[in-house]
Amino acid sequence: MTHTQDKSTAMRQGVLIFVYLGILTVLEYFIAVAFDAVPLLVVVALVKAGLVMYYYMHIYRLSEDDGSDEHSYAYKTGTNRLGLWLFLLSDAFVFGGLMVARINLLGMTRPHLNQLLGLGVTAVLLISSFFMNRAETAIAHGDRKTFMTGTFITMILGLLFVIGVVGLEWQLAKIEEVIANRDVVGAVFYMMTGMHAFHVLTGVILLFTVWNKGRKGLYTAEKHWGVEAAAVYWHFVDVVWIFFYPALYLIGKVL
Amino acid sequence: MTNIKPVWRGLFLLVVGALIGYGVGLGLDFAVQKTVSYQAPVAGLFSLLFGAIFFFFGLIGYHGVTKGLVFQVLGTLAGALFVTGIRAAMGLGLWGPFLFTEPAWVLGGLVGALSFLAGVGAVTDWWKWALGEPTSDHHHDEPGWEKYFGVSLDHKVIGIQYTVVALLLISVGGLFALIFRTELAASGLQFLTREFKLFDQNGLQMYNSLMSLHGMIMIVSILLGIAGIMNYVVPLLLGAQDMAFPRMNAFSFWIAVPAAVLLLSSIFLGGFDTGWTGYPPLSVRAPVGMQMFFLGVFVAGWSSILGGLNIIATTLRMRAKGMTAFRMPILVWASVATSLISLTATQLIGLAFQLVMFQRLLGMGFFDPDKGGNPVLFQHLFWFYSHPAVYVFVLPGLGVISELLPVFVRKPLFGYKWVAMSSLGIALVGFLVWAHHMFTSGMNEYLRVPFMYSTLLVAVPTGVKFFSWVATLWKGKIRTPVPMLFVLGGIVVFLMGGLSGPPNATVSTDLHLHDTYFIVGHFHDTIFGGFVFPFFAAIYYWFPKASGRRMNEFWGKVHFWLMTPSFFVLTLGMMRIGLLGMRRRIADYDPALGFDLTHLVLTIAGFLIALSVLIFIINFFHSMKNGEKAEGNVWESRSPEWQVPSPMPMHNYEHEFEVVGEPYDYGLAGSRYVKFANEK
Amino acid sequence: MRHYVIVGILVIVAAVGTYTGLHAVGLMPVEASVQAAPIDWLWNLEVITISFLFALIIVPMVYSLVVFRRKKGDNTDAEHIEGNTTLEIAWTIIPLIVVVIFAYLGAYSLGETRRVDPNAMIVKVTGFQWGWQFEYPAYGGFKSDKLYLPADKQVLLQLQALDVIHSFWVPEFRVKQDLVPGRITEYRITPSLIGDYKVRCAEICGTSHAYMEAPVVVVDQAAFDTWAKDQQVAAAQAEANATPEQKGEKLYQTYCKACHSINGTAGNGPTWLGLFGHEVELADGTTVTADEAYLTQSIKEPQSQVVQGYSPMAFNPAAVGIGDTEIGYLVAYIKTLK
Repeated sequence: MTHTQDKSTAMRQGVLIFVYLGILTVLEYFIAVAFDAVPLLVVVALVKAGLVMYYYMHIYRLSEDDGSDEHSYAYKTGTNRLGLWLFLLSDAFVFGGLMVARINLLGMTRPHLNQLLGLGVTAVLLISSFFMNRAETAIAHGDRKTFMTGTFITMILGLLFVIGVVGLEWQLAKIEEVIANRDVVGAVFYMMTGMHAFHVLTGVILLFTVWNKGRKGLYTAEKHWGVEAAAVYWHFVDVVWIFFYPALYLIGKVL
Repeated sequence: MTNIKPVWRGLFLLVVGALIGYGVGLGLDFAVQKTVSYQAPVAGLFSLLFGAIFFFFGLIGYHGVTKGLVFQVLGTLAGALFVTGIRAAMGLGLWGPFLFTEPAWVLGGLVGALSFLAGVGAVTDWWKWALGEPTSDHHHDEPGWEKYFGVSLDHKVIGIQYTVVALLLISVGGLFALIFRTELAASGLQFLTREFKLFDQNGLQMYNSLMSLHGMIMIVSILLGIAGIMNYVVPLLLGAQDMAFPRMNAFSFWIAVPAAVLLLSSIFLGGFDTGWTGYPPLSVRAPVGMQMFFLGVFVAGWSSILGGLNIIATTLRMRAKGMTAFRMPILVWASVATSLISLTATQLIGLAFQLVMFQRLLGMGFFDPDKGGNPVLFQHLFWFYSHPAVYVFVLPGLGVISELLPVFVRKPLFGYKWVAMSSLGIALVGFLVWAHHMFTSGMNEYLRVPFMYSTLLVAVPTGVKFFSWVATLWKGKIRTPVPMLFVLGGIVVFLMGGLSGPPNATVSTDLHLHDTYFIVGHFHDTIFGGFVFPFFAAIYYWFPKASGRRMNEFWGKVHFWLMTPSFFVLTLGMMRIGLLGMRRRIADYDPALGFDLTHLVLTIAGFLIALSVLIFIINFFHSMKNGEKAEGNVWESRSPEWQVPSPMPMHNYEHEFEVVGEPYDYGLAGSRYVKFANEK
Repeated sequence: MRHYVIVGILVIVAAVGTYTGLHAVGLMPVEASVQAAPIDWLWNLEVITISFLFALIIVPMVYSLVVFRRKKGDNTDAEHIEGNTTLEIAWTIIPLIVVVIFAYLGAYSLGETRRVDPNAMIVKVTGFQWGWQFEYPAYGGFKSDKLYLPADKQVLLQLQALDVIHSFWVPEFRVKQDLVPGRITEYRITPSLIGDYKVRCAEICGTSHAYMEAPVVVVDQAAFDTWAKDQQVAAAQAEANATPEQKGEKLYQTYCKACHSINGTAGNGPTWLGLFGHEVELADGTTVTADEAYLTQSIKEPQSQVVQGYSPMAFNPAAVGIGDTEIGYLVAYIKTLK
C-alpha cells in the first residue's frame, strides 16, 4: 500500500474532517428547526456524504495506477476495491428504493420521533466513522496498537448505535404510536431503520473478524485489504444514515 | 450395484427417493391434518426433494450438490421449527394448511437456501478467510464429469454448470407451458377443471400457478443461460485465466440452485395466481406459495447481481495486453452493458418483493390503501428492474449475434464502434422507460407522455444494430452452418419483436394492446430473438471449444427448421388473437370470440417447438461423447480462444497473448487480432 | 449498383405487399367508440411503418443470403469493409426523426382519446373478485350487472376496485383502464355503434379472472332512457319492499364486507357469523354479550369496545351516511347470521 501523507498529517486530516462533519450535522439540525428548508438539507447531506466518500472512503483510490503485474498484491487489491465499490453501488439502490418509497408514501410528513435520541445515534455513528478512519490510517502506517483500539471502539459504537435504534428508538416510537402494522408511517419507519440497522450489524460482524485477525497479527502496513474493506463498508453505512437521518427526523411536518 | 452406470443408479434411486418422500410427506400431513389426503401438498414437495437428493446420491455420492440439497432440507426444517417454537411460546397457531405456518416457511426457506451454500461448500474459503486461515489460490479440479456436480472455481466449469441448469429449467418452464397450452387448445375447461384437485389447488388455481411459474422459471433460466455464456466466453475473449473473483463466481452459480428449488416449491405450497409480476394487493392475498416465489426470486437476484459485478470487474481489470476499449470483442461490450443493469436495478425487484413479504408477514401497509399505502408504488419499484431486465436478457444474445456474424460472413462487423455503443445506449435508455408498463395503471397522467418518448427512443440504438447487421451481411461470403442459422433466425425473430414494440410504446394504441396476447406474442418474439436463438447459436458455436467435439450438424438443422416456423406461427397467432380481444393470463376464453381454431394451432406449434428442443437436448448430450472430433479452429475464427486447441486447458491459455489488431478484420490480408507470447 | 436497384425495388414491393396483406386480414375488432378512431388511425400509421421497416431489413438480408452465398470451394474472405460513418449517422438520425414524429403523433392521438365532454353521463363501476357492478347516479343510483350505454353520448365511468387490481376493457372500445383499490380511476368513452359487447377484466385478479366479464349493451338514447327509467322504478320498488334484514345486507355488502366476514374467517375485524347473543372478550380483558346495545354502540363508535386480538379501526360510519336507522338494519342483518 502506498501512502503519500506521513502519519501525523493523515491523522490530523481525520480529525479535521470529523470536526467538519460534526459542525454540518449541528447546522443541519438547526436548519431543520429554524427554516424547514428541504433543498438546504439536501445540500448539507450531499456535502457530508462527499466528505466521507473522499476523505474516509478514499474513492479516488479507484483511479490509482496499480502497476501492470496482475499477480501483485497491489493489483489484486485494486481489483478487490473495484469489486467492493460495485457492490456498494448495487446496495445503494436498495436504500435509494427505500428513499423513493418514503418520499412517495409519506411526502412532506414524518413520524413523531425522539429528536434527542435521533441526534444521539447520529453522533454515535459519526464518531464511530472517525475511529474507523483512525484505525485504518494507523495500520497503513504500521501502528498496530492504535489500529486495534480504533477497530474495537468502532465496533462498540456500532453496537451502541444498533441498541440506540432498535432497543430504544423502536420502543419510544411505539409509545408515540408509530406502529409497524397500523399505518404506512410505521411501516416505512421500521423498514428504513431496520434495513439500515441490519447493515450496521453486518458491519459489526465484519469489524469483529478484522479485529480478530488483527489480534493474530495478520495485517501489515503493506497488506491490509481486509481492514480497508471493512472500513469502506462501515463508512458506506454511515453515508446511508447521512441521508436517512434527515429523511426520518428533519424533513417535513410531524404527524 | 457398483458396476451399474451412475446415471441408471441415480434414476433408480430417484424413484425410490420420490416414493419415500411421498410417504414421509403423507405421514407428516396426516399428523397435522388428521386426515389422509393423497394429493397432499407436502407429500408432493417431499417427493420432489427426496427424489432429487437420492438421484444425486446415486450419481455422485454424498458430496457437492447432494450435500447441498440435504443441508437445504435440514436448514428449512430447522428454520421452520424455530419459528414454530417461537409461536408455541407466544401461544399462536403452530401448523398451517401446508404443514408449517407462513412465517415458518419463509424463515425456513431463507435458512434452507443459506444452508445449501454451506453444504455444497460455496462459502468454505470465505469462512477460512474470516478466521484468518490460509486457502489455496491455485485450485485443481479432478478430471472427469463429477466436478460439474460440486464447487469448482474454474469459470469454464461454472459456465457449463450455468448452461446445463439453464437448459434444465427451460425444460421445466416449457413443460409447464405445454400443460396450460393444452388446456387452452379449446375453449371451456378440459382437464384443469374446478373439480380437478392437486396440492390443494383446483384446476383454475393450478392453471394460474403454472402460468405464473412458467414466467419466472423462464426468466431465471434466461439469467442463468446468459450467465453461462458470459462466464464461459468472456474470460477467454479477454485472455484472462479466470474471472476477477472466482469464489464469488462459484457462489453466484450455487446460490441459483436453492433459488430454483424455492421457486419450484411454491407450486406445492398452494401456488400463486398473480403472474410473474406479483402485484399487490393480489399477491398479499395469495397462498404461501407466493412467499416461496418471492424468496426464490430474491435469492436468484443475488446470483444475477454478483454475476454482473464479476463480469464488470473482470472486464475492467483482466484484459490482455493491448486490448483497449475499442478492441474488445463485441460480446464483451454487450456483457458489460447487461451487467451494469443486473448489478444495480435487480436490487429494486428484490426490495419490491421484500416489502410485500413484510406486508404479508407483519401487516406493514406499504401497498395497502387502507393503511395509507400505494399499490402503484409497487409497480414503479418492480418495473424499474423488470423493464431493464429484458435488456439484461437480450443484450448478451445480440452480442452473440454481432460476435458470430463476421465469422460466418467473412467480413468485418459493420460499424463496430456504433454497435458497441448501441449496447450501452440501450442499457442506459432502458433505465428510463419502466413506466410504459403502467400506461393503464392509474399512475399520474402526466407521466405517460415522457415515458412514451423515452420508450420510443429505444428504437434508435436498436435500429443501429439491425442496420449494421444487414450491412455486415451485404457482399459477404456467407456460410450457413447451424450456429449461423440460429444467428439469422435470431435476427428475424428479434426484428418481429422489435417492430411489434412501438405500438406498445405509443400510449393510445397501448391502451388497447396492454395485457393482451399481442403483448405475449411481442415479448416471446423479443426473448426468443434476443435470447433463445442466440443462446442455441452460442452453444452450437462454442460446444467444440468446451468438449473438443462438434454437435451433430444434421440434427442441428432439424432443430432449427422445426423450431423456427413453429415459432412464427405461435407468436403471430398470439398477436392476431390479442388484437381481437384475447386477454393475457386467462385459463379459459369466450367461445363466442371464435379463437378455438387459432388456439388449437398455437398448441400444436408449441408442441413442435418442445419437440425441437428435445432433439437439441439429446443431440447436446449425445455429441459430448460421440460427436465428430473437432480440436482445431472449426469456424476459422480470428478470436483468441480458437487459436489454441480444444478442449480448452484448465487454466486457459498456456501462453499469454497480446492484441495487435482489430477483432473482426476478415478479408484484410496479413492482419491478425492476437499474437501469443510464444510466437515470433 | 445493380444490387442496390434490385433490392430497392424489392423493398418497395415487399413493403406494399406486407401492408396490403395485413390490411386485407383485418387486424382490429369492430370500432365501436369515438375514442377508437384516433387509436386505429395511429395503429394504421404504425402498421405502414412496420411493413416498410420489415421489408427494409428482411429484403437485403434474404438477398444477401441468396446472392452473396459463399460458392463451393471458395475459401477466401469477403471484401474488407469496416463501416461507413455517413451511413451510420444516417441510420441514427433518420430513425430519430421518425421517432420524434411518432412521439408527436402518439401524444396527439392520446389527447384525442381524452377529449372531455363536461356533460358526460357518470356511471360508477365497481370491480370485485369476480364480477362487475354498474351504478347510475343520474337515475337515482340504481345498480345493474349490465352496462347499458346510450350511443353517441360521452360517459364518464368512475372505476373503483373493492379488493385487488382489475382492468376495464371492452376490445371494441379500444381503451383500457385499471381499477386500483383505494382510489377512483376514470374512463371516458363515447360509444358510437349500437350492439352487444362485453367488458372483460384485463389484469389478472385471481382464480376466476378468466370469467370476470359482464355484458355491455349500447342502444340509442330513447331505448336507454326507457331501460334506465324501468330500472329506476324497479329499484325503488325493491327498496320499498325490502325487509330491514335485506337492507342491512345491502349495507354490509357495500361498507362492511372488506373487514368483517360472514363465514367465520377472521378479517381485519371479527367475523359476524354467530356473533349475536354470544360472549365477546374485549381488549381490556372484560367480557360482554353481543346484544343489540353492544352492536349498536360498536358500529357507531368502532373504537369504543375493541375485541381482543384486533386493533381499533379508523372507520367513521357517520361519514358514509350510516345513522341510527341504518345501524338498526345492520343489527337486524347480524341477527340472521347464525
